[in-house]
Amino acid sequence: MNLPNYFLADLPPEAVLSPAMVTEACRTLKRNRAQYLAQRSTASLVGVLCDVAEAWLKPDNAFRRLALESGPEKTGFSQATLQKGLDNFFHQFTPENFHALLVQELGDARRLDRFVACGGDVPVAGVSGFGSNRAALAVGPELLVHIAAGNLPNPALMSMVLGLLTRSAQFVKCAHAAAFLPRLFAHSIYDADTKLGACLEIAEWHGGNVELEAALFAEADCVTATGSDETLAAIRLCLPVKTRFLSYGHRVSFGFVAGAVLHGSHTRQIISRAADDVVAWNQLGCLSPHVVYVQTGGEVSPEKFAELLADELERREQTEPRGELPAEHAATIASRRGIYEVRAAHSPETTQHWCSRNSTAWTVVYEADARFQLSCLNRFIYVKGVRDLTEALQNAETVRGQVSTVGLAVPEHKLEELAAQLARWGATRVCPLGRMQNPPLTWRHDGRPALGDLVTWTDMEMG
Amino acid sequence: MTTELSNFAARLREIILSEGRVPRGPDSELRTPNSELRNHNGDSCNSPLRDFNSLALELFALQFQHNAAYRKICEARGLTPEVVEHWTRIPAVPTSAFKELELTCLAPAERTAVFHSSGTTEQKPSRHFHNAESLAVYEASLWVWFEKRFLRSADSLSASSEKRGQAVRAPLVILTPSPMQAPHSSLVHMFETVRQKLGGASVPALSSRRSRWGGEGGSRAEFPGSIAADGSWVLDFDAALKALRESCANGKPLIMLGTAFSFVHLLDFLAEQDLRFQLPAGSQVMETGGYKNRSRSLPKAELHQLITERLGVPPSHIICEYGMSELSSQAYDRVAGDGWRVTDKDSTPRHSTLVTRHFLFPPWVRLQIVSPETGYEVAEGETGLIRVFDLANVFSVMAIQTEDLGIRRAEHFELIGRAALAEPRGCSLMVAETRKS
Repeated sequence: MNLPNYFLADLPPEAVLSPAMVTEACRTLKRNRAQYLAQRSTASLVGVLCDVAEAWLKPDNAFRRLALESGPEKTGFSQATLQKGLDNFFHQFTPENFHALLVQELGDARRLDRFVACGGDVPVAGVSGFGSNRAALAVGPELLVHIAAGNLPNPALMSMVLGLLTRSAQFVKCAHAAAFLPRLFAHSIYDADTKLGACLEIAEWHGGNVELEAALFAEADCVTATGSDETLAAIRLCLPVKTRFLSYGHRVSFGFVAGAVLHGSHTRQIISRAADDVVAWNQLGCLSPHVVYVQTGGEVSPEKFAELLADELERREQTEPRGELPAEHAATIASRRGIYEVRAAHSPETTQHWCSRNSTAWTVVYEADARFQLSCLNRFIYVKGVRDLTEALQNAETVRGQVSTVGLAVPEHKLEELAAQLARWGATRVCPLGRMQNPPLTWRHDGRPALGDLVTWTDMEMG
Repeated sequence: MTTELSNFAARLREIILSEGRVPRGPDSELRTPNSELRNHNGDSCNSPLRDFNSLALELFALQFQHNAAYRKICEARGLTPEVVEHWTRIPAVPTSAFKELELTCLAPAERTAVFHSSGTTEQKPSRHFHNAESLAVYEASLWVWFEKRFLRSADSLSASSEKRGQAVRAPLVILTPSPMQAPHSSLVHMFETVRQKLGGASVPALSSRRSRWGGEGGSRAEFPGSIAADGSWVLDFDAALKALRESCANGKPLIMLGTAFSFVHLLDFLAEQDLRFQLPAGSQVMETGGYKNRSRSLPKAELHQLITERLGVPPSHIICEYGMSELSSQAYDRVAGDGWRVTDKDSTPRHSTLVTRHFLFPPWVRLQIVSPETGYEVAEGETGLIRVFDLANVFSVMAIQTEDLGIRRAEHFELIGRAALAEPRGCSLMVAETRKS
């Protein structure tokens, strides 16, 4: 399948973007939005998005096939990893889930279509005295710009979905060599609804290209960006004061397994869920665990948990291989393994490690030292023992405020108590172990409103 | 420490010094695809180094016996002197292990010097312990190869090449702190050894250096660097300028040695002051190491271009060194001139960007480029991790696994870079380097 030239990212690699091209693209997007998007109903947009997702889930869909066939080369993820990641993502696209998202964010699913009062009444001309004397309508930015990071496709795709719901024209600036999947998704929208596709632009360039970015930011009403603190700070400095800026910085995640859930056949299930989280998107996302804390005193010791997890990761490698890594990333894993090999040789009671043979495909390190440790990722996981969640949090103090997701495997009756403890500590998402890299459509990124941060409200007060 | 190790050190030192006496220049390299010989450069046919394997196995057995920390690693891998039959199978320890373990055959009381790696202050540095005997091997190793690969390369390239007798009196500028200020830097120790060999004023033995070092040895002009309050290395620009001006005035070629970041400091200063020098023909520059966030980073070719522009030293007279505190030998990149003269007489590149720079270790060192995936040696031309077998590491560990990526090019290697984020770090640093979803 050859993709037609709709987007800047479709241009041949030798094409050089100019600021004038970026400005022109932004203005075209705004014109198209006014003509094709601004007046669309939420229901019709949700309909298109659900149709697009349904198509992506069909094995013979051309975009899906292209993603799976060319994806390994373009993204580094194996076909199985891509398939699972994309399927999990698109399965979320149902009218019910979108409805839940809209209600969660706006209080009423119709608020992007029309004024709705607090009680849910809609104002009717000439009739006063409906449930409240105040109604509100949410309006999205005219031009929404996304500065997407390179690791995973999902955040960029989700940003595009949210922007469509708010009827915004969107310019997605992908990291260098990371446009492949966002571009395919945009093409699939274009294919399903040309007019919607005409309100999207996809481009890629090396971040920090001041001239291109100045042209882009000058046209933007709202900019979202994911990346390092330095990247975000640099973008913030370049934005006009009137431009809304939503930045998503560094986040890390970890798992916590209570000793009480590790018994009998449950153990295997929990191990399998932990492996799901390590394998998903090769652990490269902010929602992927760096460490799994395992409570001591249960039937399965943290060391045993680590060993079982290693066995499971070896099995996964057969069905869902990690894929090849560039030499420098493999070298990072090899070098870090070297450190733990030396430690294990000298103090096996405090350090053990398990590695895939003749490859860097997966690594499990058990450390008695419970301090949170940042993994070098690509399926490199730490397992550490703690007495309880409190001890885990004490040891994760260094990353407090930067923790996105905590995956829990705990007895049901303890869930709320532990989740509340995590919330007060500062984690922004608590989910079952095994679902860390698979947040629902209603997920509040970094604890911020998903649509709420994009829209601007207009309140209407009735006499 | 044992007599056996001392004997080995003495023998090896003799072998190294005899290699230095072999009258061969860099143009007469022994080129052979045979892996036993492929690292050799200029060693005589009768050199004991022709049997590198025997020497390496002998040293491995001694280190296994006398270096307890190393022995544990070998035993964990099941690789002991009884089963290792070839030097390629000798267990290599990661450089990071020097930060955590005392990888030495020297008892605590015997350790008269220690070299540290130049990491950031948040990290534990590597520790490579020495005594007088091991320093003697280090000094022999560094000098013989420096002389052969750095000093003589200029002789053979310069049209108006001076005789060696004259060359050894070339004035030196060393862009680092003095040995008194940086007693734990193996690089500064190396530069000081070179300085003395080149006719610099003699200095007291290392053990008493701290108290007696001063005015006579290592003058301000020779070591215009110093250590700032935060521990970073800084340059005394006035002292450096004075040396540059003197060299230009008296027409004597200058030898400049320093880290890449200290050259950047100097070049940035010269640019700021809008100063350019044309150092006398035959002047040479040796730069080494990465930037370690101590200056802005710039690609080698750009650094060399700036050196040429600001100091007037042509690319052919700029040489990079590859070394580390965990080793006792260094590699130098192949003299840029070799390649062009041999392969392309008619179109000599004017600029170093056109020349791929390849490094070469001395013949008492063997190199492997191993796959980070499998740990096995990769084919020539493929990228892998650099593993070094340095016989001159007599009292520590001969086989060192670096975190550097390289590519083998016949008997040379090309340096590609370092594995990122390899070391588990303190969280403030770690988090700054987290990848973002």
